[in-house]
Amino acid sequence: MESKSCNNFISYVELEEHEMQPLGSSRRNSLSENNIKLLPGESFVTKAQNVLMFSPVSDLNQGTSGILSVTNFKLTFVTTDETNGDDVARQQNHLYGYMDTCLTNIEDIYVTVGDKKRKLLPGNIVPSKVKGIFIICKNLRTWSFSFKFSPIGDGKNLLQALLHYAFPSKHDLLFGYDYQEAYYSSLDKAVRLFRDISDWHNELERTIRNEKFRKFWRLSTVNVDFKLCRSQLIDAAKRFQGNRPPIWSWSNARGAALVKMPELSPLVTNRIQENIMFENVRKSHPQKMPPVVLELNKGISVKLIAIAFSKFASLCSPENIRQFWLQDNNFYSLVENTKWLKYVSYCLQKAVEACEHLHLGLSVILQEGAGTDLCCIVSSLVQLLLDPYFRNINGFQSLLQKEWVAGGHPFCDRLGHICKRTSEKSPLLLLYLDCVWQLNQQFPAEFEFTETYLTTLWDAAHVSIFDTFIFNCEKERVAAATDPDRPLVLRSVWDWREQFNEQDILLFDNPLYNPHEADSKEKHVIKPLYNVANLELWSQCYFRWIPTLEIHNGGQNHIELYARLLRNDVNQLKMSINGNCCSPTDKSNSCSVQMNIDSFYPFSNRKSGNIVSTPIMNSSILATKSLLEAQSLITATD
Amino acid sequence: MEKRSSAELLNIEQNNSKNASSDSLNSDSKSSSLNSKMGQESESWDKASHSKSFSSSSTSTDNNIVSALEARKDNQVKNLSAGETGPPLLNGERVQGIAHEVTYVCPYSGPVRGILSITNYKLHFRSVDRETPYVVEVPLGVVSRIEKVGGASSKGENSYGIEVFCKDMRNLRFAHKQENHSRRDVFEKLQQYSFPLSHKLPLFAFEYSETFAENGWNVYEPIAELKRMGVNNDMWKISKINDTYSICDSYPAVWAVPAAATDEDLQASAAFRSRGRLPVLSWIHPESQATITRCAQPLVGVGGKRSREDERYVQLIMDANAQSHKLFIMDARPMPNAVANKAKGGGYESEDAYQNAELVFLDIHNIHVMRESLRKLKELCFPTIDEARWLSGIESTVWLKHIKYVLAGALRIVDKVENHKTSVLVHCSDGWDRTAQLTALAMLMLDPYYRTIKGFEVLIEKEWLSFGHKFQQRIGHGDEHHSDADRSPVFLQFMDCVWQISRQFPNAFEFNEHFLITILDHLYSCRFGTFLFSSERERVQEQVKHKTVSLWSYTNSQLSLYQNPLYWAAPNYQLVLMPIASMRYIKPWKSLYCRWNPSMRQQDPVYQRTRELLVLKEQLEKQLEEGRREQASRASRSMTSPAPPRIHSPVHS
Repeated sequence: MESKSCNNFISYVELEEHEMQPLGSSRRNSLSENNIKLLPGESFVTKAQNVLMFSPVSDLNQGTSGILSVTNFKLTFVTTDETNGDDVARQQNHLYGYMDTCLTNIEDIYVTVGDKKRKLLPGNIVPSKVKGIFIICKNLRTWSFSFKFSPIGDGKNLLQALLHYAFPSKHDLLFGYDYQEAYYSSLDKAVRLFRDISDWHNELERTIRNEKFRKFWRLSTVNVDFKLCRSQLIDAAKRFQGNRPPIWSWSNARGAALVKMPELSPLVTNRIQENIMFENVRKSHPQKMPPVVLELNKGISVKLIAIAFSKFASLCSPENIRQFWLQDNNFYSLVENTKWLKYVSYCLQKAVEACEHLHLGLSVILQEGAGTDLCCIVSSLVQLLLDPYFRNINGFQSLLQKEWVAGGHPFCDRLGHICKRTSEKSPLLLLYLDCVWQLNQQFPAEFEFTETYLTTLWDAAHVSIFDTFIFNCEKERVAAATDPDRPLVLRSVWDWREQFNEQDILLFDNPLYNPHEADSKEKHVIKPLYNVANLELWSQCYFRWIPTLEIHNGGQNHIELYARLLRNDVNQLKMSINGNCCSPTDKSNSCSVQMNIDSFYPFSNRKSGNIVSTPIMNSSILATKSLLEAQSLITATD
Repeated sequence: MEKRSSAELLNIEQNNSKNASSDSLNSDSKSSSLNSKMGQESESWDKASHSKSFSSSSTSTDNNIVSALEARKDNQVKNLSAGETGPPLLNGERVQGIAHEVTYVCPYSGPVRGILSITNYKLHFRSVDRETPYVVEVPLGVVSRIEKVGGASSKGENSYGIEVFCKDMRNLRFAHKQENHSRRDVFEKLQQYSFPLSHKLPLFAFEYSETFAENGWNVYEPIAELKRMGVNNDMWKISKINDTYSICDSYPAVWAVPAAATDEDLQASAAFRSRGRLPVLSWIHPESQATITRCAQPLVGVGGKRSREDERYVQLIMDANAQSHKLFIMDARPMPNAVANKAKGGGYESEDAYQNAELVFLDIHNIHVMRESLRKLKELCFPTIDEARWLSGIESTVWLKHIKYVLAGALRIVDKVENHKTSVLVHCSDGWDRTAQLTALAMLMLDPYYRTIKGFEVLIEKEWLSFGHKFQQRIGHGDEHHSDADRSPVFLQFMDCVWQISRQFPNAFEFNEHFLITILDHLYSCRFGTFLFSSERERVQEQVKHKTVSLWSYTNSQLSLYQNPLYWAAPNYQLVLMPIASMRYIKPWKSLYCRWNPSMRQQDPVYQRTRELLVLKEQLEKQLEEGRREQASRASRSMTSPAPPRIHSPVHS
């Protein structure tokens, strides 16, 4: 399946790419002797023969036979079964195949010996007779393999290698450091990485149009070399957790600011520095109004979120069909017990609260631990609610860069890339994405991106090739990139073409999006309902690997599909009316859209019957623009 | 004012001259899903789209829904209003009592002072001391029970009054002044007109006399519907043996049976089935000829009686499908219940007696269990919800689990008929509750016709009304015995299942959620004759078609209100629906059960946005068409006139 996986649908764009780059996808991949596609820099480690792979959440009776291998990048299953995986329309990743799992994506490994199942931790001794393994991934996909028919020792070998490579103890053991492919960035300039001062400067200018208000904030370059060493700011920073001073996030038109601030270090008993900072924020306000402080540490914490998610994850990754239906019997109370939705509700509620204060013209200080976890979630949500700019794809990505990446969210620790006893693993990013998904559900015309985009983003957080989500802070990133011996090539995850072709990127684009005019004075504020009773479960992200839950030829994604076709019709009509004679299937801006899709498309793991596809315009800019013009038709009087 | 003189005036006081504007608690068509979608912003949204609707008056959009509603309301206010303070009235509606200085104790926004009017159709409350009048309107058919609260000496504010318990998940509390028995008259009028049958008064449907553009009584023609399915054919024939309802008084006059069955077979089978409800055709697969048939339980009893004729008749049903040598008998009940029924003379088919038949129990509980479950659900949803225990609360009502079992049962039928080309015979005890749920749902999943607005009306007429679901007893129209054990939300449960399927297949239904809620509102309202009485025989006897208006007259005269903008009727797209009966997808129908709670109202921008796109597309198509026509006429003109000067040389064009 692997060798033919790269292109299943006809895409004009694809053809063109091939023409331009005759090497095509083989540029990236080379076949090793084991029929495994290897990326440049990827090396084969070991394999097990005659492994049975069970389909997920099944009765574990029938399996597919194949070879299971471990490389320094992925776990990969290659089957000779020709019927498997052909003509299935689904998202195709350039870097790994459908039957592969990036090692960084592996959450837990369970081993069955005899009739017993137990969790294997790095450093554990692998039993000599391994009957089977069950793997749960961070993106909730599950794998179930049996070594019943494998040569003796294969299972143990494989498991030892997997345990070693999946849980690296040092950062530079991540595959990103080994990846040899040259990188030519095609990243959209509109995605601002907030790595140099100009991005911050522009953001200040964008949000605070009034120059008088703007002068209350200054950009500090104190930290240019990441070593705080001067002045009052530095003095203050020392007293806060993580040595971090408060930082500005966003301001509204009236000059009220949103500020993230850590708590004082537990050792500091003197609150003077905290008060100085409160005072500074107050002074920054045009009317010198005292700021409102929202504490984000009551009844929620990084640790509680981790516990909630691990409970919740077990509801999304049942080992077999029996467990699935057992859970189904009291699914609602099980979900309530996990508290996951409660935390989603908490974050949205705090964001709404902050918005209300800002709306009244008061500055808001978000305060929590080191100011790099819940602060990131809530400050990002506040900005999504208040500022439509962040609801388009580039704005959303810039926001993640500003609040999370530059804001120092410890991605490496939270996502668990490195196996370290001191690091606290907790899916803060997923909690944020879930909140954004809830907003997207409640305001589907307000966001440029689809849930597929958000789900894909969560997947991408576990591909160690991209630098965006593998560091704890900017300092570590710069150190890795400038290492004289083995510099890491910085590849931004926002450069989606590194992973996907135009077909798949098209599905990030929300056809229901109704952008507001950029210059419109009035900011389109959205106010979500945040009570648990008003929240939904994100079934695409959480249930997509459970075939039992796939709605054949149905599902919410048909709304999107229908709107996409509708919008396509509208665009074609526009073109015909404008006398634009170029055919609708014009190579430069057309893709095809699958019509008979199942509910987890484009992540389906079940084969659809006949896939019918229809050409559709791809360029979101064209579509959006013409839609905007045409929009005026609705409101115009005859 | 003449209406007033006929009404009994209490506490005459005129301090209100404002025109009422419909409030969200108004229970007429404007209420339900439309308002619940628009939520609290409904007012401003109304205004915004109202101005829009002038520019696109000929298209079917939300704008038009609103403008249509506005127009209707204006009509009502202008033509039918009973004076300045009275409620807007329908044709045939009369004010029966008015009470002033009444306080409506709203569970969400607190007490409101105003005027309470009772008509022979509804109770109507309108505030007097608010900027925008606050209106509560409830058709009295919805009322299940009325109680006096507090006595003349009760202490505390608003402690003396009336509480009205409704069938649509809400209770209303009115407080009266504690003097002169101020509530007595209104209480009596409420009792009389909420329960007219208990007071020897007619149901409102027999007094209501509005005419509509469409006649809903023509929607369902049994023979036409059977012909649509290809009957008569080689294997199935239309039988009129029951045209005087002598074989089975709860069955319709016309049904289809295997062509090979004689009238004697039918009579003999009827004799062996509970209440004479023998197996007859519900649906036939257009390709495989596999069928869904329905009946009541066999009269097996403790002695294990058999009927060769019934066995032979069931064999005929199996033989009518050449594709399979097997027949599934789906017994909707849990097995212990089926066994227990033997003691009452009923029971189930033994596989020994019915050769080639396989019996399956679907584990759906009886009407009493469902009633209790809904009672708990109401407790949970009204008036306020406990945020922290919402999910486990939902689970403890078991309502969704019952939904899951009904859906799962219907899915098994669909699977056998569609994927295994095998015929299925469905029954429960009497074959008019769970059986109707199962056959109607299976047909909805199998046949796209029933997912259109008119097709869905046909489905309800056929599987529910004509086959004798006991609406009179289950709903208790006009009857004061609120704790009657025959009452049960079986039809509501079916509608909930339909809603669940429509959530999983958002493009598959021509109608929207508002249509379902409108049907449910008028299931109770007694404004239309559709859901009155318990069988076709009774309806014919009472001349319902002549004396009342059909609900479908009302709905089909304003179809655009009920159309789903996402409906996509492409050929071969979503022919058969196989929803997933897992609790991970089955959700509480908040826009129905929690619709009175303002904090639970969500907008539905997907619908709005899709409608916008549809309008846009339509306009562009029109524009393009006009452009083409213009070009064509220009071209035809140029045929007669000399060729126009060439603008481009061929080389450059």
